[in-house]
Amino acid sequence: MARIYQVPSHTRLWLTLAVTFCALPQLVKGPLWQSGLFALVVVIRALVNRQRMALPGRIIRSLLLMGAVALTFYSFGRLYGPEAGVALLVSLFGLKYLEVVSQRDAYVLLVLGFFVCATSLLFSQSPLMFLYVLLCMVLLTACLAGINHSDTRASGLQHLKRAGVIMAQAIPLMLILFVLVPRVAPLWNMQVGNGKARTGMTDSMAPGQISELSESSALAFRVAFEGEMPPPAQRYWRGLTLSYFDGRAWQQAIPKGMDKESYLYRGGGNKPDWMTALTAGRSDGNSYAYQVIVEPTQRRWLFAMPVPFVSDEGVSLARDMRLVSNSPVSQRQRYRVVSVPAATRRLPLAPQEEALMLSIPDDSGRRARGLAQRWRLDSDSDTAVVQQALAYFRQQPFHYTLRPPKLVADPIDDFLFRSRKGFCEHYASSFTFLMRAAGIPARVVVGYQGGEQNSLGSHLLVRQYDAHAWSEVWLEEQGWVRVDPTGAVAPERVERGLRAALEDEQSGAGLSGIELDAFAGSGLLGAMREWADYVDFRWQTWVLGYDSQLQLSVLGKLLGQVTPLRLAVTLMVSIALLLGVYGLYLFWRTPTHRQSSMEKEFWHLYQHVQGRGLRLSPGLTPSLLAESIAERWPRAAGPAHDWARYYQRSLYDPQQKPGKQQMRHLRGLRNRLCKLLI
Amino acid sequence: MKFPPGVRGLYERWLMRRLPAARQIVLNQKRIFIFPTGYGFFYLLVAGLLFIGGINYENNLILALSFLMASLFLVAILHTFRNLSALGLRNGTAESGFSGEEGALEVVLFAEQRAHYCVWLRWPGQDAQQVSVMAGEEESLWLNLFLARRGKTTAPRLKVESRFPLGLLRTWSYVTLDHYCLAWPRPQESEDCPADGGKNNQRAFTRGQTGNEEFQGLRRYVPGDSLRKIDWKGYARGRGLNTKLFEEPVGGRLWLRWDKLEGLGDEQRLSILCHWVLELDRQHQPYGLLLPGLTLAPDTGDMHRCHLLDALACYPEF
Repeated sequence: MARIYQVPSHTRLWLTLAVTFCALPQLVKGPLWQSGLFALVVVIRALVNRQRMALPGRIIRSLLLMGAVALTFYSFGRLYGPEAGVALLVSLFGLKYLEVVSQRDAYVLLVLGFFVCATSLLFSQSPLMFLYVLLCMVLLTACLAGINHSDTRASGLQHLKRAGVIMAQAIPLMLILFVLVPRVAPLWNMQVGNGKARTGMTDSMAPGQISELSESSALAFRVAFEGEMPPPAQRYWRGLTLSYFDGRAWQQAIPKGMDKESYLYRGGGNKPDWMTALTAGRSDGNSYAYQVIVEPTQRRWLFAMPVPFVSDEGVSLARDMRLVSNSPVSQRQRYRVVSVPAATRRLPLAPQEEALMLSIPDDSGRRARGLAQRWRLDSDSDTAVVQQALAYFRQQPFHYTLRPPKLVADPIDDFLFRSRKGFCEHYASSFTFLMRAAGIPARVVVGYQGGEQNSLGSHLLVRQYDAHAWSEVWLEEQGWVRVDPTGAVAPERVERGLRAALEDEQSGAGLSGIELDAFAGSGLLGAMREWADYVDFRWQTWVLGYDSQLQLSVLGKLLGQVTPLRLAVTLMVSIALLLGVYGLYLFWRTPTHRQSSMEKEFWHLYQHVQGRGLRLSPGLTPSLLAESIAERWPRAAGPAHDWARYYQRSLYDPQQKPGKQQMRHLRGLRNRLCKLLI
Repeated sequence: MKFPPGVRGLYERWLMRRLPAARQIVLNQKRIFIFPTGYGFFYLLVAGLLFIGGINYENNLILALSFLMASLFLVAILHTFRNLSALGLRNGTAESGFSGEEGALEVVLFAEQRAHYCVWLRWPGQDAQQVSVMAGEEESLWLNLFLARRGKTTAPRLKVESRFPLGLLRTWSYVTLDHYCLAWPRPQESEDCPADGGKNNQRAFTRGQTGNEEFQGLRRYVPGDSLRKIDWKGYARGRGLNTKLFEEPVGGRLWLRWDKLEGLGDEQRLSILCHWVLELDRQHQPYGLLLPGLTLAPDTGDMHRCHLLDALACYPEF
């Protein structure tokens, strides 16, 4: 018969802490009743441990279980799915804690704890969350050490220390595994939808939409360059092209008769003709390589500078030179881009496309049409028309403002000839209209412009208030050329960003409600924000974004060529090496014998005598040592025997414990003796 | 686990060759086995599930967590092994007993290099015992042993086991100490005392009769004298410790003789001798023993009795 096992009392505290800490992330965001249930369980457990009450019987426990299941169903409307599933798991975890009696129960509880830790990482992947989970792991390990230590004299702190040591040794191993274990493609697709509303850009541009975005300082995406960074005025992140205008709003459109399949190139297979043309231009002029980490938008479009070439799976290139994700971006997504600005000239303009890019509704912008036709007649080339239009925006009293007056009748004419106060969308819209009216294929592009550089990480932060709209015109020989009419009105918007542009315009009045969150100019807080962003960015790129592709490139740098054999050997060797180091540390630390002060005293004399040329046999007693000295140096016989007598008395006489005074006396005797050894 | 006898025999022989018996054994990597426990496999299964979850949710942190669990397991191998490694076991004393009853063996565990926590010692037919040995200390355990036959009962193979610190792995070793427990013959009553000399060498002694020797005098106590011969009354009166001296009994010394029991089997002879050793001891008679190849001079006392019983147990190899 085995002994009746009970969770040792020195482990109970750790068990309570571990259970509470593991469950805390869920309790914070879960329904309130769950916290109540947990508090109840912890209180009952504390009373049971102090033997103030008996362990609740089977009936009460079953009732609690049924109650937890029912409440979960009540709160979530179902029992499966990530949120409800995790809530149920955490409740079961708490109830399991209530009934822990045997070692087996404790084992099951701790394994559930590991699961609960993992589910916390499902909903938050911040560095802090991971640190927190590591803390939970230390506590769980301390519990494991505790339940396996059935000595009653063990102390609780011992377990925590042991768990800390084991964890400290496991973390480097984890890093090796993390870097080297090959990432496998998902076996089946699972996504945790966080049910957030779509943020950022919409797929059409009606007046006022982008200025709304400008009031948010939320992060849109980050860009990390792998080499040269384009100058600020060149940082145009294209998101969507809008080519259909209904008189008020611009919308996305595919040219009539154009095949949807060939409009989007998904990589691999046979390329449509436009893709072949673009690919040929890949080595035209300079290029920028960078990766973008985009925040979830629940939309499919992605952002890049023209002309983007990607190799990531799940990202396609559209004919209008923008990137499209194959599924809505519901989590942070990372993709690598090589942008070749000069490749635009390679893109052909199909007749159907040209028709679309010239189309304007008949009943809008009558005055604008007249203006455009006048320009057309005055100039000999498309380029000249564009210049005239920009000059018009520059010379006429146009005003850049975030709070434009409402446009009533015809948005184009009203803006161009009456209000002349507007935001980038107004300029882009009217400019594109003018170009079309003048017979130049044009379209509106919306996206982001600029971005703030983090001085620590040399990456760019693009926020929602960097949202921008501009135009692209198709010029013979040059292809699609970007023209930003806003730049003509408010050059500082393009050069220095929105804040700079608005500083000049509004002194306090309209800006007070707008939160412009940025690093610059806020002292210590700004520096801390910059650091936090840097850590978050590195975490994003190197930890959360460490996928098979990044792994392949990292391993390529480490190993040269990545073959399965090489990878396996590296994995084995590095684990074995690390374990070997631990083994040396753990096993070769023989206890060093520390000499007592009396032993040191003896060895001082012993070595001194040997230094004087007297060969001494090992294992001498103090009196034998004195005798050998007396034999060699008869003059020193008296002091030598004095020393030996005093030494032995100090060592063996229980009345005369070797204190400081005795040691000093002994040292004096020895010094006197040493002087005589000549 | 049950194996067919042939396999079992092979296994036993291999184990005997691999782990020979010794008086003192310090466990090292040659002697220690290690394997995951059921819980260890369960734990690895959970780590595997988290790995699959991490892959499916494309969540690198869950992957990292599963790697951390695997790493903890790997590190636990070293720590579990270390808990048993360098633990020393050696022979302690032994408690002999009559055959058919139980004896006990003492096993001393010593820790020269480091502490060893929660080590379980088990051998067949007995509950496991748990012990922790602190660094530089010794702990001793008594292990009961059923004595089936008269003679030397060697220590069975001892299993030393530990799951400390995490319970994920079990490390164990088999230790065969070169240690034995003596099984005295089971006493068998007989009418006639197989003895020479003494007052009544033919018949059983009258019960309760003590001191069939002539009191001779006193001498000063010397360490080692039988406590029964000390003049306790005199000591109580403050005369100091003295030992009583007795004259040789009239009929000469009493010898229990092997050759007086002719016609009986060896074991029976030994059993009868054993009975008389106990009987004479109870009567505080000095008695000696003559066995083929061994002569033990007459004396009294516990030590003497034990000597004689041990001699009977060891017969015919002393």
